[in-house]
Amino acid sequence: MKQAGLKRLYPEAGVRIGVGIGSCGLACGADSVLAAVQSNLRPEDGWSVARVGCIGLCEEEPLLDVVRPGKPRIVYGNLTAEKVAAILQAVREDREYTEGALFKMASDEILLESRSRVLGDGAYAGVVEYARHPFFARQMKITLRNCGFIDMDHIEEYVARGGYYALARVLVAMPPERIIGEVTQSGLRGRGGGGFPTGRKWQSCFEVKAPVKYVICNADEGDPGAYMDRSVMEGDPHSVIEGMAIGAYAIGAHEGYVYIRTEYPLAVVQLEQAIAQAHACGLLGKNILGSGFDFDVHIARGSGAFVCGESSALIASIEGNPGEPRAKHIHMAESGLWEKPTVLNNVETWANVPAIVMRGAEWFAAIGTPQSTGTKVFSLVGNVRISGLVEVPMGIKLKEIVGEIGGGVPEGKTLKAVQTGGPSGGCIPLRLIDLPVDFDSLTKVGSIMGSGGMIVMDNSACMVDVARYFTEFLMDESCGKCTSCREGLKQMGHVLKRICAGEGREGDTQLLEDLCDVIANASLCGLGTSAPNPVLSTLKYFREEYEAHIRDRKCPAGVCPALIRYTILAGKCVGCGACRRVCPVKAIAGEKKQAHVIDTAVCIKCGQCVEACKFDAVKVE
Amino acid sequence: MIAPTQTHHITGAVMVIGGGIAGIQSALDLADGGFKVYLVEATPAIGGNMARLDKTFPTNDCSMCILSPKLVEAARHRNIELLTLAEVQNVTGTAGRFQVEVKQKARYVDVTKCTGCGLCLTRCPTRNQPRFDVEEEPVIIDLKLKALADALLAEHGTSQSAVIRILQETNARLRYLPREVIGYLAYTLGIPVSRLYRIGTFYKAFSFIPRGAHTISICDGTACHIRGSPRLIAELRRELKIDVGQTTPDRRFSLEIVRCLGCCSLAPVVKVDEKIYGAVKPAEIAKILKDYPE
Repeated sequence: MKQAGLKRLYPEAGVRIGVGIGSCGLACGADSVLAAVQSNLRPEDGWSVARVGCIGLCEEEPLLDVVRPGKPRIVYGNLTAEKVAAILQAVREDREYTEGALFKMASDEILLESRSRVLGDGAYAGVVEYARHPFFARQMKITLRNCGFIDMDHIEEYVARGGYYALARVLVAMPPERIIGEVTQSGLRGRGGGGFPTGRKWQSCFEVKAPVKYVICNADEGDPGAYMDRSVMEGDPHSVIEGMAIGAYAIGAHEGYVYIRTEYPLAVVQLEQAIAQAHACGLLGKNILGSGFDFDVHIARGSGAFVCGESSALIASIEGNPGEPRAKHIHMAESGLWEKPTVLNNVETWANVPAIVMRGAEWFAAIGTPQSTGTKVFSLVGNVRISGLVEVPMGIKLKEIVGEIGGGVPEGKTLKAVQTGGPSGGCIPLRLIDLPVDFDSLTKVGSIMGSGGMIVMDNSACMVDVARYFTEFLMDESCGKCTSCREGLKQMGHVLKRICAGEGREGDTQLLEDLCDVIANASLCGLGTSAPNPVLSTLKYFREEYEAHIRDRKCPAGVCPALIRYTILAGKCVGCGACRRVCPVKAIAGEKKQAHVIDTAVCIKCGQCVEACKFDAVKVE
Repeated sequence: MIAPTQTHHITGAVMVIGGGIAGIQSALDLADGGFKVYLVEATPAIGGNMARLDKTFPTNDCSMCILSPKLVEAARHRNIELLTLAEVQNVTGTAGRFQVEVKQKARYVDVTKCTGCGLCLTRCPTRNQPRFDVEEEPVIIDLKLKALADALLAEHGTSQSAVIRILQETNARLRYLPREVIGYLAYTLGIPVSRLYRIGTFYKAFSFIPRGAHTISICDGTACHIRGSPRLIAELRRELKIDVGQTTPDRRFSLEIVRCLGCCSLAPVVKVDEKIYGAVKPAEIAKILKDYPE
């Protein structure tokens, strides 16, 4: 099987064309690129087309890569049907086509086997090498080792890159104690947000003697602004299944569940397919690889509730109940799903397990910082020049992620803050940009690691609006069990709303702080106890913005509609009429080649005129 | 109320008919105010419906915790005389001077001697017979819906965890959860309708009103939010003339907000059915809508 996979991955003759077809690629038109590839293929070519996952460089989607024998793998971006035709024509004529090429890879690192496969060198002059591409240079891919490289429909390619060897190794040669020992030594901590040591979790479940145990993969990636779990499940579903199988073997479980958000239809399809393939290959089911170990994975789909990302709520949801968290006097390791001992880990955590087994705990522990080992995937999004998924060693400085990998904020803007950890996290201001990114440093500044959302905000983001946004999100998603969270967030929402509407009162900031205190201390689950973080961190670092809203009735960032007005600067307006034509309420009037004016009484502050104006003549204040 | 004609004939005693929570509370208030109260109740004990409830609306407080102190207080109050297993037969007279005829039914227990030890209860051969009949609502269901529900039940089984799967599938196929299907599922699975409604209202993916042919989901994740999704929402509301969570009168579009579709690099994102549009500008909304004719 490995040979078959290798043949597919690195053809000895012919060409392999990979199209990035993750959800993000599809949103940019990857389906039409794939169709264009297929319509340009000729039967006599004998080329293969692979549907690969997301390589992380979402900014340049849709992507396409070409692998030819003896030549580096080359990746093209921002494709259209015409560009695809040109590329394929060049390949057919054996030309080195470099237009629209993003980077090339002279060798391919196969992480699990700790070696590289040389593809070819020297060709495609002028195209930057993968290892020197600014987006990838600082990255280190463990979780995302296969994403964007393997065909997500073919288990052979996963095996070819060292997949399922870890499972075979543990089944043959590693007793459970040793696996748990390795994971503990590696220092792997839960990647879902809490950062609980995975080894300790497994150990306590292992120690409970029970005939039935469960492993669960938390794929309810609810944090807005984070999508690494989706990417892994779409592009490399087998790594999750393999990780779960190893974990199940270690703790003595025979059944596993993957709880996936309903918003990720493609991930569900890919995972279902992967499970079926693993079954067909004897890697799941009864007597796996002849070892006598049985393990099976089921998929449970969420129904749109953020709180179900919380472990006890997630279990309630799998059991068929409304997802309300419960107090954790009794640990999951003793009584979890259907009151059986359960280990629950995040997608990313599970995907790390095979790598730890193959490369050893010491290798993993040497990456990152002593307290936060390994790498972490961040979704670098927001007002940043190159957004996408980045996997970096823990302890890397925030500045390096945003400035070097992401290329900083768009031109003409200045960086204001970086928000991490989703709705339970906080905003880190520009002056703390030298902060190392690991579990403990982030907690120290009032934010959290969370699931790895990293939203960059420039001076066009209003921090009060951001706080209001998160509070309303949490207000919506609070399950309503604890009064402090249910009612407290509602009151906070009212206060923030009125501040944004220009009706803030003196003492509102104090009121917010008091409410935060009660909510944090009187709520049961993680959602409630961390709910005040966005408000507290913005109050701490951006108090002057709150004061501008309350005292001066001004939104310095020009976001809050009630506090801003649009005017056209007569000196800059050339009278082209672009704004007049886009205005949906006809609030703009003016003669051709004369300065236009906005009727502020009619204006609905939609901002379309700002976008339409090529001369920066529309001023927001 | 009939106005008393001669105030000096007012007796100063009140009869409260019905020993439910309202009757008990009235009796207590009146008794505390110094009136002699006769509390008439048709069943063997006061308490009424509240005693049968687990929780009370809207605070979800434990109902017995509220009720039981009042029961004890009513029973011990010097000004309250309980007339249980009794029914009012006839009322004559005017306000302040009513003559009430009460029929006291046989209790077969001498209340003056009974200590309430409960021993007789354990010996009673008929104690487990329900004293009230629950009216079963007839389940009326369209045959097509029944076929769908039956197929889903056959596919996913009747276990506790299958319930959500069945609801998800129903919601996916019909674009909402019809009342009949809920009723039918509850009846077939032998679980209360309220439980299904609790699940249905807890999770955002379910809808109890029919949705439009196309569902427009605007992503309001953090990345989309700071890159301008609020303006897209405003534009769509204006364009479709409906609010978030509503459906156009011609059932063409439903508008909803989702929190993160996981396409954050393309923010702001709009999803129509399964198709995702990235980096949408308010001016492009009208064009996108044109892709979805009736």
